[in-house]
Amino acid sequence: MSESNRVVLGVASQQWRDTWAGIRAVAPLMPGAVLFGLAFGALVRVAGIDPWVGNYASVSVVAGASQIAIVEQLRAGAPALIAVVTALVINARMALYSAALAPVFAAFPRRWQLGLAHIITDQSAVVSLQHADDWPDPVRRRWFIWGASGPFVAVWSMGTAAGIALGPVIPESWQIGFIVPLMFIAVLVPGLRTSPAMVAVAVATAVVVLGKDLPFGLNVLFGALAGIGVGSLVPDGRRAAPREEGHVDDAGGEP
Amino acid sequence: MTAFLVFTAAAVGTYLIRLSGVWLLGGDRELPDRVTRALRLVGPAAMAAIIANALLLEGSEWRTFGAWHLAALVAVGVALWRRTMGVTIAAGVAAFAVLLATGL
Repeated sequence: MSESNRVVLGVASQQWRDTWAGIRAVAPLMPGAVLFGLAFGALVRVAGIDPWVGNYASVSVVAGASQIAIVEQLRAGAPALIAVVTALVINARMALYSAALAPVFAAFPRRWQLGLAHIITDQSAVVSLQHADDWPDPVRRRWFIWGASGPFVAVWSMGTAAGIALGPVIPESWQIGFIVPLMFIAVLVPGLRTSPAMVAVAVATAVVVLGKDLPFGLNVLFGALAGIGVGSLVPDGRRAAPREEGHVDDAGGEP
Repeated sequence: MTAFLVFTAAAVGTYLIRLSGVWLLGGDRELPDRVTRALRLVGPAAMAAIIANALLLEGSEWRTFGAWHLAALVAVGVALWRRTMGVTIAAGVAAFAVLLATGL
């Protein structure tokens, strides 16, 4: 906070650096967001939806899977209410990210909470949660989370714009839908170490496939909830709450 | 016009969903240990649910075994080995491209 803290565009250099750290944390996922945006944009064009409305969707709803579902419902001639409800059920998982981010956002000013809430996405939310403990200072933390969220939404929106302008330029045989599981494998697996988390992953996976016939993509929501519920019953060897139990487990013991 | 209204309604509803947890669980309160432990699993559980749905299923049918599963296995292996996001994605894309090119 001294002579190095030059102010550019009203933002001090420390804050630029923290924003940049957030961008770097999420950067490997940005090409995937662009591709997914391209796919949504191409769908908007094929469905004959007004280009402005398509772009508006990506900056207002900011949730690709639900936007695709809306376009498909409209194409199929479904009632508007059904299209909206389908989208909201798909996006219900965002409430889980929001709950998990509540302690992370708690010390932020109200306007930051309101602003950052809008740009919660699967990718930025989980990257923010993974890094939150590294940012004890809430001021620096909020700039980091802004960096991990804002530019990610920006590239998603630019991908949409490009897809609407270009149409379906990516051959279907490339099956770019694979980018979806791949992105989330890249977010999930490298940080997967504790037994509660592994149980949560196994239970969520099982419930999703067992619930494959549920409507509205409810199997994803139920899978996530079941994983959280069962996983949180599993004792975490590394964090075995010594304050409650009155003793300390062998730290770093056998896996 | 219908599309505009539908997206607007979905945007408002989704914003309220995104705000819900921050709003209800936020503030100075100390969350119970049980809740904190559950919230720590939101990321892994949600990621796994999305992966399972996108990888193993195709709509409400099982996805036919092939390039998707094999490339995902390569990505998981590399992720466990190198523990970085960028390398995992690069490996998954490369494996998927090779598998598609060989006609799987």
